[in-house]
Amino acid sequence: MKTNRLVAAVAIAAAFPLALTACGSSAPAGGSSAGAAGKGLSLTIEDYYQPPQAATYDKIYKACATALGDTITSTHVPGASLITKVLQQETSKTLPDVLMLDNPDVQQIASSGALTPLSDYGITGQGVEQEVLAAGSLNGKLYGLAPGVNSLGLFYNKDKLAAAGLTPPTTWAELASDAKKLTGNGTYGFAFAGTNTYEGTWQFMPWMWSNGGTETQLNSPQNAQALDFLASMVKDGSVSASVVGWGQGDALNQFTAGKAAMMENGPWQIPSLKAVKGLNFGYVPLPASAAGGKSVAPLGGETFTVPSTGNTAKEAAAGKIVACINSPANEMTIAAENNYIPSNPTIAATFGKSDPDLAPFVSIVADARSRTGLLGTKWPTVGTEIYQAEQLALTGKATGAAALAQVVANNS
Amino acid sequence: MKAVKSARSRQLPYTVLAVVFLAIMLFPVYWMVNTSLQPGPSAVNATFIPLHPSFAAYSQAISDQLGNMKTSLLVALGTVIVTLVIATPAAYGLAKFKLPFTGAVMLALLISQMIPGIVIANSLYTVYVKLGLLNSIPGLVLADSSSAIPFAILILRAFMQSIPPSLVEAARVDGAGHWRAFWSIVVPVSRNSIITAALFSFLFAWSDFVFALTMTTSNTFRPLSLGIYNYLGSNVQSWAPVMATATLAALPAIILLVFAQRYISAGALSGAVK
Amino acid sequence: MALSVSKVARNVPPAETRAGRGPKRRWWPDRVTQLLFVLPAVVYLCLFFGYPLVKNVIMSFQNYTTSTFFTGYAPWVGFANYVSVFKNSLFQTTVINTVLFTVGSIAGQFVIGMALALFFKRRFPLNGILRSLLLLPWLLPLIASSSIWKWMLDQDSGVLNQTLLFFHVIASPVPWLSSPNVALASVIMVNIWLGIPFNATLLYSGLQGVPEELYEAASLDGATGWKAFRYITWPTLRPVVSVVLVLGVVYTLKVLDIILGLTGGGPANATQTLATNSYQQSFVQFSFGTGAAISNILVATSLAFALVYLRLNRRAIDE
Repeated sequence: MKTNRLVAAVAIAAAFPLALTACGSSAPAGGSSAGAAGKGLSLTIEDYYQPPQAATYDKIYKACATALGDTITSTHVPGASLITKVLQQETSKTLPDVLMLDNPDVQQIASSGALTPLSDYGITGQGVEQEVLAAGSLNGKLYGLAPGVNSLGLFYNKDKLAAAGLTPPTTWAELASDAKKLTGNGTYGFAFAGTNTYEGTWQFMPWMWSNGGTETQLNSPQNAQALDFLASMVKDGSVSASVVGWGQGDALNQFTAGKAAMMENGPWQIPSLKAVKGLNFGYVPLPASAAGGKSVAPLGGETFTVPSTGNTAKEAAAGKIVACINSPANEMTIAAENNYIPSNPTIAATFGKSDPDLAPFVSIVADARSRTGLLGTKWPTVGTEIYQAEQLALTGKATGAAALAQVVANNS
Repeated sequence: MKAVKSARSRQLPYTVLAVVFLAIMLFPVYWMVNTSLQPGPSAVNATFIPLHPSFAAYSQAISDQLGNMKTSLLVALGTVIVTLVIATPAAYGLAKFKLPFTGAVMLALLISQMIPGIVIANSLYTVYVKLGLLNSIPGLVLADSSSAIPFAILILRAFMQSIPPSLVEAARVDGAGHWRAFWSIVVPVSRNSIITAALFSFLFAWSDFVFALTMTTSNTFRPLSLGIYNYLGSNVQSWAPVMATATLAALPAIILLVFAQRYISAGALSGAVK
Repeated sequence: MALSVSKVARNVPPAETRAGRGPKRRWWPDRVTQLLFVLPAVVYLCLFFGYPLVKNVIMSFQNYTTSTFFTGYAPWVGFANYVSVFKNSLFQTTVINTVLFTVGSIAGQFVIGMALALFFKRRFPLNGILRSLLLLPWLLPLIASSSIWKWMLDQDSGVLNQTLLFFHVIASPVPWLSSPNVALASVIMVNIWLGIPFNATLLYSGLQGVPEELYEAASLDGATGWKAFRYITWPTLRPVVSVVLVLGVVYTLKVLDIILGLTGGGPANATQTLATNSYQQSFVQFSFGTGAAISNILVATSLAFALVYLRLNRRAIDE
């Protein structure tokens, strides 16, 4: 008896909101001004930049919109929650006119049909680094274009290395021995982010790639060797066991406190590093696996996309905004103010000359590889497998090979 | 005089014990304040005692978050009101009226507490967009109440079950209607539990993140639980302002709590039962 | 013990003083008034929870991906999601972790909360303020408290290890969050810390509901201490205790943010519970059908506890 009543109550409850959604699902949400393109449209843009970074972008958005004769309002969402918000907006058809997406997410969102190809607006990505285009493309169509990109490098404490008579390592063997020598007195030789999230995957990929491994074939000896290499440094004490829980911010904190002599991190940390009194730091590309080898780092940075809102006038204007954000002048501004590298190699070269601090990263980025270029929409699965395997290896629960075999078997 | 003084001194050891226990339990809070006073970007590597305290984080937090705090306060207070208005009669009805579907409603209340917040938020978002309730205080009040009301009913009902039936029966015999009996007898007698329920409703709404994230799309209308993320960029994070904001956020709440706790004392039922 | 309600009933005017009309008569049945007490709450429940619950159940039987959010199209796959969840080797780990996490948290929170509630019943200076301060762990934004605990529990630079080493309680640093063997215990410890205010405050309120005169009368009969607790405190406290326990279980099964903040579910899935796994499946791997399936398994588990609670509660009322 009771159950019947409950079922009835729930059924009625379900019907009410379902009726609501059925009523309104056909009409496109969002602003409804039907003016001709570029004439006083009110556009929205969504990103995950926070102050002070957000100030740079707000300036650029406003300038780009004003140039078209439109107005634009920007919404800044907390980083980890952007995708949640985007999915909610997809359901209610209230996506913003311009959407910033971190580059590994582009293909997932594009595959849902929520994004429009940028070629519709005459954006071809000509002159942009190939890997940057690969990250923002799905099935040969470009959906997101990043004005600025970044990557990973090896930061080192100049004083500590000089005191030990060392120069920055260029191979894995050198890194291991340097880290061992630098460990002691409350300092670890090396720190990186090995946490249980995509941040851990991001920091592991250079080791994988520099050893010749690939993300499309996880269960390979090269990937296993990369895992074993990092695990060996934890085991012999030159890397703290806490790396399994560290993000890049934690690694930075260790480095600035002098508790790590070297760290794997990116150029966005440079302002924070400069603000620490008495810290003499430098950076080089991450070491290659063997002498003469190549070090390949992953490509970071956010792309700008045009969601499908059903309002052609606004979409056209949004397309122009995306093109404007990616203009040479704006690429330089973003790079200079937020420590990115312009995604256009020619502009990047100019930028490198004008900002010698970031010059080393210009060449690192030139050789960088996108995370999703080969994986496409398989990125969530494979990205998860990578950090799961890394966790098993770093905690010593499995060797590199066993860890990779285990995660691949689990997820198939 | 002497009796009071000796009673006081006998009680003092308990105070000391309580203070020691709280000092241990609230050490993380101390650490939070300590972090907020650290100068420079490496707030995380705080020394045990802040030797060079810097209030820069606090001035930043105050200038950024004062408006957000007002929003949070309004939402939380609104939630308390809505929750109490809806939950108190319902709790009483479920506790004392032998309604046929009480079991089903109780089950539904408990089930509602089992659903993850993000699932509810996702479903509510579409409805809110249509009703234009985004970025509004009433919208957030309604959403936060949805998590506070079932909890309040469950708690209030548990307390109300202990009210002797004779209390209400006597009034009903005198001709008082259900509402009258409820308002004049049950509510005063349930003062403790109502304040407790109000307290928790306030805390639910004050610290809610999921609904705050979902039901707001602007940078100007933002509860504190969301505003705190201003300092946590995807790449660069400054923790001192985060901790300063958390400390500042705790202050009005603690003041309200101290005020409310005064009213949770023995004696709501005493005197009524002889 | 004869019960007199004279004091409380004083503010209810007797029927006769009302404009000479005699007892009020309503044209609608008494039952309707009673229903109106409960109706707003039921309506609220249906509006806010009915649809999400039904949708979550349906989602677990579909192949729900990011595309579905945009197109609304989700192919029906029957029990395939549930099968893949059960077959996954991670499932067993998450179930064990969830059980340990829930039992450990509830036991710790309840015992300490009860002890504190009994302790604070005494009168002593600063009682009220200290009781309010006790709520601080619950008050702080989770992002702040999880980050603070994460730093405090760091193996090398965390203040907890440094203090323990200083006082020679331990010989070498404890890998609180970096060892798969210790991480779950650490997370349980932090969750207990978070849950103490909730338990202590509710139990304290419950204790206050017992009239002082009953204790006095009982002590005259020689019943103090444990006897007083058993025959006076416990009967009044029982409904509060059972609701605190059942809500404690329901909320602990749902705990997500503190685990994600401390360990992200690691290291090596040592702190991965059903709730965190459900979140990972849905929002990290975008496999929403699987995530919904796991969260429904959680709801079913909570439901079992809820049914036990309701059965016990019904029996208590009938007594």
